[in-house]
Amino acid sequence: MKLRNRVGERKIDVNMTPMIDVVFQLLIFFMCTLKVIEPEGDFDISMPLGAPSAASVTEADLPPFKVRMEADAAGDLQTLFFNGTSLGGGAQALAKLNSEVFRAITALQAIGKEQQEKQEVEIDPDYNLHYRYIINAIGACSGRLGPNGVPVRYISRIKFAPRREP
Amino acid sequence: MKIRPTNTEIAEVNMTPMIDIVFQLITFFMVINNFDQNEADERVALPRDQLAKPPAVQRKDAFVLNFGFDRDKDGQKLSELPFLFFGDEKLSLEQVRPRLRQESQFYSAIGTSLEDVTVEIRADANVQSGLIQELIQMCQESGIEFQRFALKATQKSVP
Repeated sequence: MKLRNRVGERKIDVNMTPMIDVVFQLLIFFMCTLKVIEPEGDFDISMPLGAPSAASVTEADLPPFKVRMEADAAGDLQTLFFNGTSLGGGAQALAKLNSEVFRAITALQAIGKEQQEKQEVEIDPDYNLHYRYIINAIGACSGRLGPNGVPVRYISRIKFAPRREP
Repeated sequence: MKIRPTNTEIAEVNMTPMIDIVFQLITFFMVINNFDQNEADERVALPRDQLAKPPAVQRKDAFVLNFGFDRDKDGQKLSELPFLFFGDEKLSLEQVRPRLRQESQFYSAIGTSLEDVTVEIRADANVQSGLIQELIQMCQESGIEFQRFALKATQKSVP
């Protein structure tokens, strides 16, 4: 096949200026509206309606794990109790809570896998405790981060005890 | 002084690479921009936890309660008691009840079961937990009756 000689073709001139104007406007718009937000996650809380005391009996009639959190005057975590056993205070206590929950979960798994799903944790904080410790305790109860960043789930049913008076 | 006449021929610049790059940039900024987190209020400093993961399935019916302190530019608290932020409005915990009732009636009116509505609580890390419990209790009062709750946290753990 023979290609036609293209020598005679003329280059068509497109006026790029308006497009570039608009494109720059768009670029500036998106740059200005950029908000740096850290990714947000959440924890589900199971708080069924009805009197908290009446609803606290789980389907399997297992008592919920009780996490009692005592605060000092400044609102920081002073003592953490897991089912009545003191785990001390600070970040160390939360790490201990994590391993305690793991131990309890392993015992539950011996009975049956579904027991783990039914198990509840009841968090009972002092009124003035800072909310961040609640989140940390929920995090410690709900699992741990596996070696490759994949979370290992322990308990997903978390609820609050009736509020304590200040 | 005499100005020398310039060369009148227009120098042709090849625009194609520049336009390519500019489009790349636009695409980048568009993707980076998350438009759906508009309900997040910047005044709320969320607690951090490494296990807080975004829900696997996007919740269909959810509404956000921003519960934090009024802060100045340096992030200092202006008041001891936290407020609930709804855009420019700020309400104290006692004032929010009619708002919640309204929200609940709205979901009932559009035929959504309140069991399917998740209340996402974005609370500041320093809010007293008793107030959070009060807020949850308030959401469960008769006439409001929300049942599903989620507590928000940022994913990064404390370094």
